[in-house]
Amino acid sequence: MKKLTVLLSMVLIASVALFAGGEGEKSTSGEKTFVPTRNIEWYVTSSPGGGSDIFTRVIMDIAVAENLLNKQNVVVQYKTDGGGEVGRLHVSQIRAGVQADHSLLTFNSGDLMPMLKNTNNRFENFQPIAHMAVDKHLIFVGEYSKYKSFEEMLAALKRGERLVLGGSKGDDIGCHAALIQELGVTEDQFSYIAHDATSGAITGILGGHFDLLISKPAAAAQYVEAGKITPILALSTSRFPGNLSGAPTLSEFGYNNVEVPNWRSIVAPKSMSAEAVAYWTNVFAQVAQTTDWNEGYIEKQKLVPDFMDSETFRAYGMQFQKDYLASIGK
Amino acid sequence: MQNLQNLLMGFAVVLSMQNVLVTLLGAVLGLIVGAMPGIGSLAGVALLLPLTYKFNPTTAIIMLGALYYSNMYGGAFSAILLNIPGDSPAVMTALDGYPMATKKNRPGQALFTANMSSFIGGLIGMLILTFMGPLLADIGLKFGPAEMTALLLVAMTSIGWLVGENPVKGVVLTMVGILLASMGMDTLTGSARYDFGNIYLLGGIPFTPFVIGAVGFSQVLKLMAERNVTIEGNLNQKLTIKGSMLTRHDLKRLLPPALRSGLMGTFVGVLPGAGATTGAFLGYAMQKAFKSEEPLGSGAIEGIAACEAANNAAAAGSFAPLLALGIPGSGTGAVLLGGLMMWGLNPGPLLFSTNPDFAWGLIASLFLANILTLAIAVGIIPFLIKILTVPVRMLIPIITVVCVVGSYSTSNSMYGVIIMFLSGFFGYILDRNGYGVAPMLLAFVLAPLLESNMRKAFIISNGSVAIFFQKPISAVLILILFAIVLTPVIKFLIQKVRTIGK
Repeated sequence: MKKLTVLLSMVLIASVALFAGGEGEKSTSGEKTFVPTRNIEWYVTSSPGGGSDIFTRVIMDIAVAENLLNKQNVVVQYKTDGGGEVGRLHVSQIRAGVQADHSLLTFNSGDLMPMLKNTNNRFENFQPIAHMAVDKHLIFVGEYSKYKSFEEMLAALKRGERLVLGGSKGDDIGCHAALIQELGVTEDQFSYIAHDATSGAITGILGGHFDLLISKPAAAAQYVEAGKITPILALSTSRFPGNLSGAPTLSEFGYNNVEVPNWRSIVAPKSMSAEAVAYWTNVFAQVAQTTDWNEGYIEKQKLVPDFMDSETFRAYGMQFQKDYLASIGK
Repeated sequence: MQNLQNLLMGFAVVLSMQNVLVTLLGAVLGLIVGAMPGIGSLAGVALLLPLTYKFNPTTAIIMLGALYYSNMYGGAFSAILLNIPGDSPAVMTALDGYPMATKKNRPGQALFTANMSSFIGGLIGMLILTFMGPLLADIGLKFGPAEMTALLLVAMTSIGWLVGENPVKGVVLTMVGILLASMGMDTLTGSARYDFGNIYLLGGIPFTPFVIGAVGFSQVLKLMAERNVTIEGNLNQKLTIKGSMLTRHDLKRLLPPALRSGLMGTFVGVLPGAGATTGAFLGYAMQKAFKSEEPLGSGAIEGIAACEAANNAAAAGSFAPLLALGIPGSGTGAVLLGGLMMWGLNPGPLLFSTNPDFAWGLIASLFLANILTLAIAVGIIPFLIKILTVPVRMLIPIITVVCVVGSYSTSNSMYGVIIMFLSGFFGYILDRNGYGVAPMLLAFVLAPLLESNMRKAFIISNGSVAIFFQKPISAVLILILFAIVLTPVIKFLIQKVRTIGK
């Protein structure tokens, strides 16, 4: 009986080892590699049709068209509960194994900031895969604004006048915080109104309800072209191209440049195997080189292409987290 | 005149074989999506959006526009027949639609009323959109945080019309609605509020499962308690279109509220942040101020007409800021805006001049969708009312399943289902004790809008209330508010003085 138990245990252990290690991994010249062998679950923590969803679907379409997914399907999972925190926590807790190797999460700086502010989940609980692009900000004035240029705005601040800036949530708020710090003014003097989306802030400035608007280039470009708003300051280390080039950077006025980029990236469960991490990083590196990506997405959305592989992105994300936590006193 | 020519040009675009077919497809899909509880226009448009990336932009927007629009029709079906609103704008439709279908034994007429009012409201909205679109969008822009605050305060007073016979109960439920709506992340700073350390509550109480529970599942519990009392007479109903026709008298009752709500709904649709749901709530509340042949809530035609016309008009109205300025008036509008960008168009103030065939094609397609959807919706009435012939003992598990699926599908998680069950039990207890849920739901919709606008106004004015009196629109609205709030008090005081005098 004892022998039988030992034998059965050995068979069990052997088969578990065989199945656990067998799926999704092929051995070539002794080195383990990974290719997807089942549906890929791609988590998106905001509603269908939003910015993160479009980012995900564009990448997915390109990866399928370029035949980078070993003919496997991608299933987009929308996990929007708790402002997206439930989905992010779920991905961070997926256990090692086949599921972890086939799970991805669209992750932007706009997701990281509320996560750090309201939960104990942290960037290190995820496996960074690829950083794809960044979006930067500009300050605009509207037709009814009291100020027409950044010089006038600065002069008003120096006179002690009160200014109100309207914008979106997330990184726009971070930008405002960094800007008032650099200009040496208080929040009471240079206040911020957060809207659910940039379109709400644009409505406000078009109606003349406040004087200054902060926006990313894509959302504002049409209004600049129509002459409804004018860019007066680029929150970047260099000026923007096209019809936004009239906006100077802060360094042109003797200040340090302020830049709080909104980055768009992909992460995975922390437990993803090293082979799968290498595979996915390589897939997104290839996507980032395609014309469809650069012309069909980056140019259309007026983003800055900025591909980073897993390790570079890890260092970047950790630094971003450290700076943000320090800025909110956590 | 120029606009009429443009509209005709739009019809030339729409009336191609391909575009008529996609309008029809959009209309049918919209009806289905609208009738399924939990999947509203937002999810419907968002799910179909990726399919349209390969279409030409005009065809794509025509399909999604028709889907969004016909969704407003579909929501009423399950609201009237099962007392479960198919989407949030149909919440108020259930209040009179369900009693009219069951207690009054006129399900066909209730559906017909909803369809006709939707058509009339939508038509008013579209005509205003055609002839005053850009002007309407400019009026919308004049409503900044101060003006919106004043308007929402006036709107909040309409809760007074919904509280029914016992004002104290109404006020208590209004407060409960406000408290529930304030859970989740703060709208301005993103800080957690009343989350009790629960990660799910960080996102607040989701509206759709909350409504499905409070209105729909509480109905299931009520049916279970009264399961031995059968709803008699439904089998006698003639299941034909003819048998569902409205009488001339019905039409006379339907027209005034539909016309009023059509005008009001269009205006609400244009306002920033207020969509079809707010339109329907206010349309219903406004009807309370006018005369209805039967009391609202007991199955009155006026009640169905007021909210159904308002939500369709608001859906049409919300296209004005979207097309004229590139500003979405609702969540669905925001998704359509994302679509415009993906199709390679640049939504914004230049859209009408750079892509007139697109903009006018869309407006023309709304007219076409309105007619097609009415025809389809009326055509399927005889089949729909057969639902009412299902015995109560079988209806109970069926509605429960619909409630569970609907609340699950809003965020693809059991969180919605739990909220639905909890609000269902809560709604049942309220109903048993004579509390109507309408004030709570209206407060739940309006309170977040009011809070965020009021706080924005105070940031702009640095905490000074003067901002509400400095601008003409908000000053007039505040005066109206004072008039509404103080009139009964003054009346009461005058009466008291008179009695003392006597």
